[in-house]
Amino acid sequence: MNNTETSTKKKYPRHTEKVMKGNFAAAEAAKLCKAGFIPAYPITPQTTIVEELADKVGRGEMDAAYVNMDSEHSVFAAAMGSALAGERVFTATSGQGLFYAHEVLHAIAHFRLPMVVCNVGRPSIPWNIWSDQSDSLSQRDTGWIQFYGESSQEVLDTVIQSYILSEKLEIPVFVVLDAFYQSHTSENVWIPDQDLVNEFLPPKKLKGTEINPDKPIAIGGLVQPEHYGKFNYDYWIDINRVENLTNQIGEEFYQKFGRKYQAVEAININKDTKIILVTISSITTTAKGVIQNHPEVGVLKIRLFHPFPKNSILEALKDVANDTLLVAIERNFMGDKVGAIMQELREAFYGERYFKMLDVFTGQGGKDVPPITIEKIIYKAKNNPEDVIWIDME
Amino acid sequence: MLPAMEFLIKDEKVFSGGLSCRGCGWSLLVRHLSSILGENTVYVVPASCFSIIAGPYPLNEIKGTIVHTVFAAAPATATGIRHTLDRQGRKDTNVVILAGDGGTFDIGFQALSGAASRGENLIYLVNNNGAYMNTGIQTSTATPYGAVTTTNPNSNFKKKFPKDLMGIIAAHNIPYAATASLAFMEDYRKKIKRAKEIEGFRLLMVDGPCPPGHKVDPANSIRVSRLAVESKLYPLFEVEYQNYKINYHPTTQLPVTECMKYQGRFKHLFKEENKNLLEEIQIVTDKNWKRLVALEKLSEEGIYNYDLG
Repeated sequence: MNNTETSTKKKYPRHTEKVMKGNFAAAEAAKLCKAGFIPAYPITPQTTIVEELADKVGRGEMDAAYVNMDSEHSVFAAAMGSALAGERVFTATSGQGLFYAHEVLHAIAHFRLPMVVCNVGRPSIPWNIWSDQSDSLSQRDTGWIQFYGESSQEVLDTVIQSYILSEKLEIPVFVVLDAFYQSHTSENVWIPDQDLVNEFLPPKKLKGTEINPDKPIAIGGLVQPEHYGKFNYDYWIDINRVENLTNQIGEEFYQKFGRKYQAVEAININKDTKIILVTISSITTTAKGVIQNHPEVGVLKIRLFHPFPKNSILEALKDVANDTLLVAIERNFMGDKVGAIMQELREAFYGERYFKMLDVFTGQGGKDVPPITIEKIIYKAKNNPEDVIWIDME
Repeated sequence: MLPAMEFLIKDEKVFSGGLSCRGCGWSLLVRHLSSILGENTVYVVPASCFSIIAGPYPLNEIKGTIVHTVFAAAPATATGIRHTLDRQGRKDTNVVILAGDGGTFDIGFQALSGAASRGENLIYLVNNNGAYMNTGIQTSTATPYGAVTTTNPNSNFKKKFPKDLMGIIAAHNIPYAATASLAFMEDYRKKIKRAKEIEGFRLLMVDGPCPPGHKVDPANSIRVSRLAVESKLYPLFEVEYQNYKINYHPTTQLPVTECMKYQGRFKHLFKEENKNLLEEIQIVTDKNWKRLVALEKLSEEGIYNYDLG
């Protein structure tokens, strides 16, 4: 008998608490969301997601077409075909696989096809399979919405919310996990009951623009210059709606499931805050712990990375003093002078607020970012803030 | 005796105004294909001449659904469509890939092999005109030996024989693969009907006349296609689970030069210093035919009489 069922009052009603690795939480979410098509291709550290889904389909727990494809390029091309025909699609990839699929990512986004895909972040050549966000961050300009999950619970919950967002806007969504620190680490996860998810996420509604042999149309033919801009304009209108909708769906999710998520999360950010660590994913948890000893330091977690949630950030920082130092913690390298987070922060503040900013490259290629590293970052920030530093390079 | 009428299109499914070049095979090929498959068909089109011929947004040349997709992965896109239509109870809908040789022999080769290996319930039609014609005549691995293209110009003409796609696809042990020619319309139509009634992965390779690419007078398109079959440069055969069957045995001993002489892309081969190359092409063509006859004989003996599923 499950321990949680013996307790008189559960923390979350209509849930079951399980110990689960991040990848299994992602697979569980796909099942709860009733994804009907899963094209699959293995790549470390994502593989256990598609393995688990193969098991779920094989055991008959999940009603989906599961197809072993010949590459990630084909995975995404198949996902595109299925979504064009109106299916709710799920798959997962990592690093090189994501890079290989790059061409199709553009096509899926600009065909305006809803789907949710988990990416377990790892960098490129030279070979490295460990945690790094360079892969997904480098796909920013494909047009996909990007969420980064701090915990396995958040990954599961974000996949559910992402289907609502994706199907409402007809824009695909990446939900990104940290390699190993999340994908292969067991945590307590509250799994919502299927009927609870059903109440929140109805079956996919067809728009009437899907493939329908009874009403034949041509999809994706050559678009002349006089029409092309209109497609991008419509996309731009909808990408501008993502941030508000994320917060709105997060609020509705909270009402139903009891866990609250927004585009960003502000911890200890107020008029007395002197330093704000801007984080993504599981480093956030470490930073949250470390700032317990530093009352003047806050954490700003970026959950929605693309489109960058400018308004939510300005709102979160509305009470902080102008001399507050912002520290971007970058587990990515874009081959540029500053990391991906810093670039976006500067763009967000332009014409709105001016802050001193420190960009910190750390945790590259999966190097651990333990509390001591966060302490070092805070020490650097307090004593001699430079524009850009690399930490833990010894 | 009445002449054979089986090549007449009784139920036209292609609108006028297709954007093909004069003498191009694509429109003729698609007219016959679509008239037999019917409107309950989804055509998946990777980058190719047909991407253009099918019409710009939002036009559609065919009475049927057209989905334009990325160059390298039409069979993958078709796989996603197929599985989803099946789940929607549309198993009766044909899902057909219309690709060129570049999208088949080269950039789309992996996705093709993947779909064939999985036994996806798809029809794959390749219009093999022997080069990247849509981008302006660049060499593909389907380009014939001796042909001049913009990436094998002048004396740097192609000096490799094309990839044996039919041999490779047959090795995938699929239920049906066949070559066809627009000069043998009854044979082509029979093969479309055969492909339609079989379930699983089916491939038709059609010899694609291309006047601008082959440097042929558009009026000679079908004549050159016929001479390709008669000279055994382009044999007509079917393969069912690796069982070969030759569909047409040329009765004339027509040399390959009788077909090649109409094509400007081979013009330089007719110079005295390249005489040996023409001889080599003849030798290889004869060997290929002998091999085909041998494979047919082995098939009749039951060597390949199995279905691995």
